[in-house]
Amino acid sequence: MHSSYVIRRLLQIIPLFLAVMVVVFVLIHFIPGDPVSAILGDRATTENVARANRELGLDKPLIVQFGFFVNQVLHGNLGESINLKVPVLRLMLDRLPVTLFLDVYASVLGVVMAVPLAILAAVRRNTWVDSLIRAVFQVGLSLPGFYVALQLLTLLGARLGWFPIGGYGVTFGDHIYHMFLPALTLGLNLAAILVRTLRNSVIEVLTAEYVDFARAKGLRSRVIMTRHVLRNALIATVTLLGLNVGGLIGGAVITETVFAIPGVGKLMIDAIFGRDYPVIQGLTLVFAVLVSLVFLATDLIHARLDPRAELS
Amino acid sequence: MTTMHSPALEVAVRPRRRMPKATLLIGLVLLLVLIVAAIFPQYLARYSPTDFDYEAILQGPNAKHIFGTDNFGRDILSRIIYGTRVDMQIAIFTTLFPFIFGTLLGALTGYLGKWSDAVVGRIADLVVVFPFLVLVIAIVAVLGPGLNNMYIAVSAVGWVSYWRLTRGEVLTQKKAEYAQAGRVLGYSPSRILLRHLLPNAVSPAIVYLMTDMSLGILLGASLGYLGLGAQPPTPEWGVMVADGKNFMATAWWISTFPGLALTLAGVTFSLIGDGLADALRPRA
Amino acid sequence: MKRMTRAALALAATLSLGQALGVTRGGQMIFGRAADSLFLDPVLNDANLDIWILTNLYDTLLQPTADGKRVQPGLASRYTVSKDGKTMKLTLRPGIKFADGSPITSADVKWNLDRARNPDNGIWGYLIESIASVAASGNTVTITLKHPDPVLPSALAAFNTGIMPQKLFDATPGKNDAEKAKAFAEHPIGSGPFVLSEWKRGSYMVLKRNPYYWKMGEDKKALPYLDTLRFEILPDDNTRILKLQAGEIQGAEFIPLSRAPELKTDPKINMMLFPSTQVNSVFMNNRPKLKNGTANPLSDVRVRQALNYAVNRPALIQLVTFGAGKPMTSFMSSSTPLFDKTLKGFPYDPAKAKALLAAAGYANGIDVSIIVTSGSATGQALATTLQQMWSAVGVRLKIEQLDAATNTARYRANDFQMRASGWTDDLADPSEITSYFAVAGTTEAAHTGFSDPTIEKLFVQSQQETNKAKRAAQYKQIQTIFNNASPNIYLYETPYPVALAKFVKGFNQIPLGNNIFEATWLDK
Repeated sequence: MHSSYVIRRLLQIIPLFLAVMVVVFVLIHFIPGDPVSAILGDRATTENVARANRELGLDKPLIVQFGFFVNQVLHGNLGESINLKVPVLRLMLDRLPVTLFLDVYASVLGVVMAVPLAILAAVRRNTWVDSLIRAVFQVGLSLPGFYVALQLLTLLGARLGWFPIGGYGVTFGDHIYHMFLPALTLGLNLAAILVRTLRNSVIEVLTAEYVDFARAKGLRSRVIMTRHVLRNALIATVTLLGLNVGGLIGGAVITETVFAIPGVGKLMIDAIFGRDYPVIQGLTLVFAVLVSLVFLATDLIHARLDPRAELS
Repeated sequence: MTTMHSPALEVAVRPRRRMPKATLLIGLVLLLVLIVAAIFPQYLARYSPTDFDYEAILQGPNAKHIFGTDNFGRDILSRIIYGTRVDMQIAIFTTLFPFIFGTLLGALTGYLGKWSDAVVGRIADLVVVFPFLVLVIAIVAVLGPGLNNMYIAVSAVGWVSYWRLTRGEVLTQKKAEYAQAGRVLGYSPSRILLRHLLPNAVSPAIVYLMTDMSLGILLGASLGYLGLGAQPPTPEWGVMVADGKNFMATAWWISTFPGLALTLAGVTFSLIGDGLADALRPRA
Repeated sequence: MKRMTRAALALAATLSLGQALGVTRGGQMIFGRAADSLFLDPVLNDANLDIWILTNLYDTLLQPTADGKRVQPGLASRYTVSKDGKTMKLTLRPGIKFADGSPITSADVKWNLDRARNPDNGIWGYLIESIASVAASGNTVTITLKHPDPVLPSALAAFNTGIMPQKLFDATPGKNDAEKAKAFAEHPIGSGPFVLSEWKRGSYMVLKRNPYYWKMGEDKKALPYLDTLRFEILPDDNTRILKLQAGEIQGAEFIPLSRAPELKTDPKINMMLFPSTQVNSVFMNNRPKLKNGTANPLSDVRVRQALNYAVNRPALIQLVTFGAGKPMTSFMSSSTPLFDKTLKGFPYDPAKAKALLAAAGYANGIDVSIIVTSGSATGQALATTLQQMWSAVGVRLKIEQLDAATNTARYRANDFQMRASGWTDDLADPSEITSYFAVAGTTEAAHTGFSDPTIEKLFVQSQQETNKAKRAAQYKQIQTIFNNASPNIYLYETPYPVALAKFVKGFNQIPLGNNIFEATWLDK
């Protein structure tokens, strides 16, 4: 249907990919600190550091290193982790599914919590129901993730024993069970953002003239609800999810740390603090492609839901 | 504003509901409380926010220390009061530049479209897919840790949301009747943009600004948790919550009360945001 | 009938032995670690994350004793040193085997020692740099030395001389030693009490009992007692503790000292504070000018002493380590061999501190800055407390938290005024810490820029001094000179905090940091 549009958008990922490659390479090499002394630490002598740098090719001019990096990527090779001594691709294949699972799970929980409650709050706006819903989610928006995570873990995990403390299990059922609390932590934050925006957008629809008109025409409120309100709510939800997905993929660091989930968030932060250049570069490139694809997907869904939107 | 073309003004003079005003009012009163605490902490706090008291370590809430003391014997309430200034600063400086820059840019590229939109769009894509922490660490590593450098890092990234929101809104409004009418009437593009499109298109950004202030403080907390935000002994709510992390089982008050302060600030911003949204909602 | 009787007798014998000695075999222990290992190669690794568990996988010729102060026989049952101190003969224990059942030969040992001392391999070769050559014949390994080396026995008990099977290593795919090491370390077969069976990086590591391990348990059967040792990576301190309290794991390392007093009262948990060689100091830049060209008041010895006198160590220990620490009186820990017990260190004396500052011309106080690694609650608490204590004598301390890599880059470039850092010995000998802290040599005395000709001379002598009394006297003098010059702020020694389920017995973390699981058993 929109195949030429999709192809054009996919082609746009290429320059983005190149730009990300340049920017991340330049930036991480300009940050003080290098992987070798970061890992060799206190005891290493200058000669130790120099030798390790030579072995890793980090003593070469930056431009040469960049050429090497680009050449590698073009051959589908993301290099090898300096600190963990395993191929970046393997690390990623190990960990990315875990994070994606967590993100999807969190998004589902967030939407399931937010959409009905936001509509309820909008319909009953400025009543105690509305105030209660907004107040509860405001707490989710105001407290730091690690605090919410620890409280959930202590209460639902340790005190009540309903959920295991950390880990992510083996089977699919295990994952659902083990990752409920971390997904809830992320989902609450997402739901808080969703509720605030959705509530406003639903009120906007409810007070809009075409709804008054529909009501005047004698359409049942159920029909108005599904035809106008829900669709608009969905459009806003998809847009917001799209905006937040970048944050979700890279931002699950603290949640992953608290719940001991071996995902890419933790991998990325360890790599940044350890200056593990190949891992940072590889992860950034994969994030870039993923986030671009999600943006494309949200735009397509948006177009499907909202006849006014144009794909350009 | 003298022109009657502003729908925002029309709404303001033609209030339909009573409650939104109350929402905004409560929000503004709370904001006033926060501002007073931020400007005059010395008149409100009983103790120094930084001085240790070896005799009062890890005391629970009591008559002398209503919110208890931390592991250095510092009064939690006094630290929260002094922390108001820091956190209000964070709320403002993490959002002010992104809001102004992002909104103006969004209106401009949304209106002009074509290549300007495409160029900014690609830059925005780059910013969004780029790992934020790499940027923060780069800036902190070069300029040293502290709040100012956090503002720089956040600003470099934060404008994208406002750009997107405003641009999307301008794209829709451009086709609205009054904009078309303005064009027919021969108004200059800048007049259409600034007087008509922007005021209409800015309301989602303003609503988001209020959420973003909460998020800004939270980000300060996360960076503080990583040691890259406010530096000790500066009292900052997010860092205080993080400092209480190891005492949650034995001294719950260390992180709970700053957590409440964070929530209070969040509620304040969201009440104002919702109130403004109601007031700004265009009545076409 | 006959067979049954014998089996019954054997069973009865086992039971009675087991009961008499109170040791139960078998089972799995799950141990919560704060971070995963990086690289399981004894020679090429760099981090304590590896070092502190490596001896469970790779046994050494000699082993540190449980108190970490001496060595005891390991894969070698005995060793002798020639009169001139330049030849060492080690006798391998008969019948020792790798985890795959193949014999450990003297040729394996020679290959491992040659690999460990090759200066191209990693940073640890200097520990055995005195070795000139190694010869293997039968069950004897003969080491010829360039000079007498009093440190060598402790070095042969350290992780980097852990014994790997040469045949399996050589058979591993890879173009060179480094590549082979990477591949081998993914599924290592070693000589230690355990052998790696599964490793999911960043998540868990499963070690199985090595059925060929030589050491005998209390029940006169081969160690280890445990069938399975599982490490789970639980980076968050609170999660690790909650999991232990919920019974999901049986041990947890790196318990924050702030939680130790509370966990001591938990009836299901043994909160262990294992004695360590861990010292925590503030390194000062001793140079007259800082990297940015400004004058550095810390180049004046009176200022450095003043800062030491202005630290109230008992209060600091209470605030930062919750009473678990112990004041330092020398740059090395009190568990390090040849530590000088007679030293008094720096008692808290703010009046003296003020007088010293005034004498140095800083009656109005000074401004100094400290870099600490970000995200460490202890580091932050320490810096904040020093800031408060020093403000009493007019010293204004600015705290800069930097991420670990930036921090390292800064001090490596000598671009700092003060930095806080910890240290643990890897050897049961004072030479390692002295070479790093007090000798200008390779790292400009831990990047402080401190250097003292007498210490330099004494250190060189002590590295070849086989007479114990003379060596002790040399170290006494080194420590006295260092104390007077005061290039560091002495803080406190801290123990290793490990929390174990009550039924976990026989676990030890020795002062050098090694986690010893070989004699760990579950009493349930």
